[in-house]
Amino acid sequence: MDLIEQYGPMLLRGFGVTVLCWILGTIFGMALGLVIALVQRYAPRPVRWLIQVYIEVIRGTPFLVQLFVLYYGGPLVGLRLDALPAGLLGLTIYGSPYFAEIFRSGFRAVPHGQIEAARAIGMAEPAIIRRILLPLGLVSALPALVNFSIILTKETVILSIITVPELMYQVSRMSTETFRYVEANLVLALFFWLLVETISRLGRRFERRITQHLIERT
Amino acid sequence: MFSIPVFLESFQPLFWAARYTLLISVLGIGLGLVIGTLVCAARLSPYPALRAFGGLWVSFLRGVPLLVQLLVFYYSLPVIGIDIPATAAAVICVGVCASAYISEIWRGAIAALPRGQTEAATAIGMTPRDTWIRVILPQAFTLSLPALVNELILLVKASSLVSVVGILEITRASQAQAATTFRPLEVYIAAACIYLAINLCLAALGRYLEHRTAV
Amino acid sequence: MQASSVEIRKVNKFYGPFHALKDVDLSIPPGKVTCLIGPSGSGKSTLLRCINFLEAYDSGEIRIDGQLIGYDSPGRKMTGRRLREMRRGIGMVFQQFNLWPHMTAQQNVAEGLIRVRGLARSEAERRAAEALAKVGLADKMGNHPARLSGGQQQRVAIARAIAMEPRLMLFDEPTSALDPELVGEVLNVMKALAAEGMTMVVVTHEMGFAAHVADQVAFMEKGELVAVDSPQGIFQVPKDARIQNFLRTYHERNSF
Repeated sequence: MDLIEQYGPMLLRGFGVTVLCWILGTIFGMALGLVIALVQRYAPRPVRWLIQVYIEVIRGTPFLVQLFVLYYGGPLVGLRLDALPAGLLGLTIYGSPYFAEIFRSGFRAVPHGQIEAARAIGMAEPAIIRRILLPLGLVSALPALVNFSIILTKETVILSIITVPELMYQVSRMSTETFRYVEANLVLALFFWLLVETISRLGRRFERRITQHLIERT
Repeated sequence: MFSIPVFLESFQPLFWAARYTLLISVLGIGLGLVIGTLVCAARLSPYPALRAFGGLWVSFLRGVPLLVQLLVFYYSLPVIGIDIPATAAAVICVGVCASAYISEIWRGAIAALPRGQTEAATAIGMTPRDTWIRVILPQAFTLSLPALVNELILLVKASSLVSVVGILEITRASQAQAATTFRPLEVYIAAACIYLAINLCLAALGRYLEHRTAV
Repeated sequence: MQASSVEIRKVNKFYGPFHALKDVDLSIPPGKVTCLIGPSGSGKSTLLRCINFLEAYDSGEIRIDGQLIGYDSPGRKMTGRRLREMRRGIGMVFQQFNLWPHMTAQQNVAEGLIRVRGLARSEAERRAAEALAKVGLADKMGNHPARLSGGQQQRVAIARAIAMEPRLMLFDEPTSALDPELVGEVLNVMKALAAEGMTMVVVTHEMGFAAHVADQVAFMEKGELVAVDSPQGIFQVPKDARIQNFLRTYHERNSF
């Protein structure tokens, strides 16, 4: 009980940072991913190649190493960031190619005829993107987006290694002070299990609500 | 600024450490295949208790970050009186985590087989056991090969996390190197290059297998 | 109602080495119904899609009311803006309806009025309701496409096109994706539209519709326009062996 009193506020702050990293990482990563997906759909070939290289590099390397390059290597080229901003930037970069890929296949799932129908009544390309491609592509990308957002929840613990004060970092601090390594990490494991299960359940309910009117009633 | 000579010199100790990265990933996926197959069998079995156990196994291991699993496992071993080398502990942990994903890959592949395959086997009088061994599993294996290669790529990247328990694979070696040379930028980029090279090779292998199995 | 005429002159279209349209010449008079028939793969849909430049033709000319579509001059494509302006006057109905599944029937119809014609939402919705009433769907305005039958979806698609007040309507096999019992309701809407004096170009496998509603029928095979004639000329006294052959197969398939 003393432990809770002593470490409770610290753990709560850590949880707050974890949630913050997860939400901002998802939002920024999705935004960058969406831009990448749109550029890949419309940009000229050399630009697409460059982006493809970026995607391969990010997807081919561990998140931890990306964080090291950014946080420890960054200052050598003048990029001096605190742990938390570095962690957020890292999450954004790390997530962007996966999100881009998800959007890209979402866009591909939009039947070409629905784009053609818009062209045939004379709609301009920006309006087609905004009114047809995005809403329909987003809906078909939704399950994969939720899924990847959950993966990002789990990746936030890696930020503790570059000293971002999120939940895992605080738990480690607590366990080195109390020598309760096993219990602390076990509780952390159970906590994440619960969190991920809850998010995915909510995600599925949300998906059903959004796609309800698109499914043929039989 | 970025120094090319320092960058090039960083590679040598990292190459050495890359053997551990490969060792842990390959043994990890091997172990994951064995356990994953058992878990998948449990999930498809007719016994509710086994099915529930398989479901919990998959949900827990996929819900908990690998880093947390690693620390729980690593710190628990001495408490329950097991004394094994850190590398072995890492392989077990990575393999157990992979088993959850591999079990799902199997399940997906088996579900993707047309029902007619089983029906055709039953119609000519095959036993359920023969149906599984002769008809379902060979097809499911070929179907899931690309996904398994993808899983191996994920493990190569995930193995960077075992650096926190002190195993001298690429990431740990690059940390040590960065600490002695004070050139983290060059060293970590070199480490990223080695990971990238390994994973691009694996991805090429995956595409080759996909191409070959796509009839 | 204003009605457009279309002049197609020596139009050629290639897909790689495949010659999809071969020197096609066709005059589509204003206010009349022209049906394009022929075996599948004969190029009828391709020709139709060239008229509003959803497919780019490679040589020749397609003029709508004298105005060349798709090109400013031979070989120089017109800007997207000019092309969109021309397309406003051309309605199109697709085989697969291509309604936007995330919008209700009324929103599907209003969308073009708002985005393309720049009407205020309330005015667009009023006109959308009118157009839907015209195709007999006044009571289904709030339904999403997934809650409509195929025939109703296709009628919404027709409403979406006519709400834009086109001077020319293109129909690309509008009943081919429908269950047989739903074909009639769509054909009736098309007949009513024809009676109003709309210029219509219809790619169809419904020989009955072609025979009774069309003013002229064009028969295509292997990318060539074989014959253009009155329905009587094509169906009663076909001169060309290819047409006789096509009609024989058609009758055999549709006889009990």
